[in-house]
Formats: sequence, C-alpha cells, structure tokens
Amino acid sequence: MSSTSAASRKALSKIACNRLQKELTEWQVNPPTGFKHKVTDNLQRWVIEVNGAPGTLYAGETYQLQVDFPEHYPMEAPQVIFIPPAPLHPHIYSNGHICLDILYDSWSPAMTVSSICISILSMLSSSPAKQRPADNDRYVKNCRNGRSPKETRWWFHDDKV
Amino acid sequence: MAEEEVAAEVEAVMAMYSDDCKVVEIYPPHLLIHLKPRTADVSSQQFVEAIIAMRAGPKYPEEPPHISIVDSKGLDDLRKNHLISSVRNKAFELASCFMLVALCEEAVDRLSSMNHPDGNCPLCLYPLVDEDAGSNSLPFMKLMSCFHCFHCDCIIRWWNWLKMQNDTNLSTASTSCRDIRDKQGMHKMMEESMGKCPVCRKVFLAKDIEHVLNLVGTHTQLDSGGIEVDEDFLEPESEKIRKEKFEAVLKRQQENSGLIEPKRNEVLLPGMYLPRPVTSPSAESEPENKDPTATNSDNRPSSSKRSNSRTRKHRTQHSRKHDRQWMRKESDPKY
Repeated sequence: MSSTSAASRKALSKIACNRLQKELTEWQVNPPTGFKHKVTDNLQRWVIEVNGAPGTLYAGETYQLQVDFPEHYPMEAPQVIFIPPAPLHPHIYSNGHICLDILYDSWSPAMTVSSICISILSMLSSSPAKQRPADNDRYVKNCRNGRSPKETRWWFHDDKV
Repeated sequence: MAEEEVAAEVEAVMAMYSDDCKVVEIYPPHLLIHLKPRTADVSSQQFVEAIIAMRAGPKYPEEPPHISIVDSKGLDDLRKNHLISSVRNKAFELASCFMLVALCEEAVDRLSSMNHPDGNCPLCLYPLVDEDAGSNSLPFMKLMSCFHCFHCDCIIRWWNWLKMQNDTNLSTASTSCRDIRDKQGMHKMMEESMGKCPVCRKVFLAKDIEHVLNLVGTHTQLDSGGIEVDEDFLEPESEKIRKEKFEAVLKRQQENSGLIEPKRNEVLLPGMYLPRPVTSPSAESEPENKDPTATNSDNRPSSSKRSNSRTRKHRTQHSRKHDRQWMRKESDPKY
C-alpha cells in the first residue's frame, strides 16, 4: 500500500520541494497540538504521530499517519493514511484509508500538512462511536492489491463527523 | 432639538458616503458604512476594506456609539482589532461631540495606513512582499472578490493546473503542464470558466486571472519546474505590430522636434494614408493612394478585422493622440 500510486513515486518537483521545506520549518516552530513529526531524511514521506485529544473517545491513544507527497504538491493533494492499526472510526477503514473530503475532491493548494492534521484530529474528536464504516470489509477487499485511497471514488455523505 | 441635530448629522454622513452608507435607523443613529482606503478610486491599489456598524443610543452624543466590524476583506484579526480599537478610542476622545463623520474618517485613515497585503502567499508560503528583495520581489495579485493575495506565478501555476485537469481526463500527473500550448483553446477555457479562491473558495471570474496572465510575462521568469507561459500568448502578433507603429510615430515626433502636425479638417476615408508614413515605404507610390475606397473596404479580409477588434483594448490605452488615422491604416490588407 505504501508504494502504490504512480504520483507518489515520482520525485518531487522543485516547487513541491521548496514548499515542503517551508512547511517543515513552520511545523518545527509551531507544530499543531497533539501531533509529532517523526524525523526522517525523506521529505516526500512524512510519518506523523497523532495523540487522541483529551476528553474524547481516543484520549490517551496514539496512532501514526503516513503522508506521501506527489510530484506536483500542493496542486495535487497528498496521500494521507493511517498506518494500521488505524483508529476505530466510522470514516476510517481498517486498512488506514480515511474518508475525508479535503484529502480528495475538496483539496485546495492553500491547505497544509498542519491544516490536514487539525482536520483529522477534529474528525476523530467528534466521533460518536468507535466503529468501522459499514462497508469496511468490501472496501478493504477491493483495495487488496495496494490501491491508493486517492483512486477511490469517495462519496461524502456525512457532514456531522 | 438634539434629535434634529443628530438627524442632520446622519444626513451629512449619507451625503458623504452615499451608496456606501446604509441607514438602519435614523434615530438613534444606526449606520452601516462601507469604508475603503484612500486610493483615488484605483481598485488595483486597494488591498483592504471594511463595513463598519455604528450604533448609537438615545444618549448620543454624550455616550459614544457602539462600533463593530460587520464584514471586511484583506484584514487579519490583528489588523481588524487595530482598526476597531482606534475608532473606539477616537469615539471616546470626541465624547459629546457629533462624531459620526469624524469616526468614519478615522477608520478611513486606519484603512489607508493598513492598505498593503500582509503575510505569506498561501500557495508557496513565502512572504508576498519580500522586503529584503526590494524591487526584485515577486509580483503578486489579488482576487477582486475576496482580496486574497497570491504571487502571480503561484496562482497562474495553480490556474493552469486546474485547466489541465479539466481538459485532460487522462490519468493525472503523468502529463506535462506544457501541454497547454494552444493559445486559442486556453483563451476559450478562461472565458468560459470561473474559479474558486484556494483560501476561502469564493467564486471569482476567470478574467480576474486572465489579466494577470497578460501582465506577468513582462517581468518574470518562471521556475524551470513550473509552467512556462507561451510568449506568443502574452504578446500576440497584433500587439507587436502596434508597438512598431507606435515607435514609428514616436520617431517621427522626435525628428520633428516633438511636434505632431496639427490635425487637418478633412474626413478620413478607408484607403487614405497619413501624409508621411515612416514604416511603410510602399505608401510612397502615389497611384496606390488614390485607390477607390470602396474596393479597399470590400476586399479587407475578415481575419484582419478580427485581429483588429481583439486588440482594440490595448490600443485605446496608449497613444490616444495618434488617433484613428493609424487604425485605419493598420486594418488595410496591403500592410
């Protein structure tokens, strides 16, 4: 799953590199609350530790996000998945894929890794129950040959969580 | 008595700001005023604006009105707070005076002093205005609908990317941005489409971006990793011709020690030429000048007409003085 989509395997463009360097510097000065960037020398793949917000269903739990940047980031959205085990959430599949519109159709190049992280934490925090999406098994089976979530035709139906 | 005076003051505000002033209530005054910085009405020089509500109680003017920002563009929280607190301070300073006009003026002063884009380009995250770079700073632009600012290069890169995505339903990312070379096609796409601001998703018109495309080519070099804007698109053939003609006129003017011959009182017909055209030696052959006008206009190929109308915008901006005479000549197929 990790080395799937063609986009994420292509090297970063110069513009993407500059932008990511800038984001990384910004992150080091002012990281979003509850997140920790695991330092690597790979600018194109970030691994980020997420801590469930206090007072929510995920308080005290830690998960890992994997963010892969395409050649033309930020024109194209990064691929963001949870490294399994993924949190139990009605919009998060057991293979780590996240159903969140800003990662796909609603991506805008003005968004940043930091703003994505905040959206994901907010999605976790507003969860009413720790459960998988209804179609989890079917979806995960379809993705077995390592399909990227960016190739899924997502249908965003729930704007509450 | 006081009520009449207050009403007179409200009238004064209305007179000053006319369409930019909405009166919710005349007494006690409750006004919404759309305030802009002083830019001599040049909208391209305007980066901020605000709608300010002033709501006075029955004890006005002893008690200053309540002041708040209803809506604003181009102002972050810091600058909004600065604006509102300076207007409130002014209100306390002027307690028991009729202050509505003075408060508006104070707000306009503040807006004028803050009338510059702030912060980073939302697309590359580097400062919009790089003070260290001085005149080498990258050119930037703002969207008229929301006043969000971007480096020209950045927003055009994004715009072209969107166009390419819409255009090719092929698999993403494999095609190069340089495929958008067909200027006609590009032009058409721009005219038909509207975009959404990357920051606030407010819809803007394609022409907002289009005019930047026309400006940007003259002073920027795009990063090799980015999209190259077609030179021909930025400076079409007709524009080059216009420049040549303009330079010819300029040269003639310089030769005549800055004088341009006074216009004669004669009607100019298609096929007639200026007395001494500099660029076109063929015009010196006398017989051609006497061509019947009718055939000339009939034979004019439609293509030249079209290019003429497309570039009229450019022409009217420059060299009004040289007048219609030059346009006549340009549309003549012989040149």
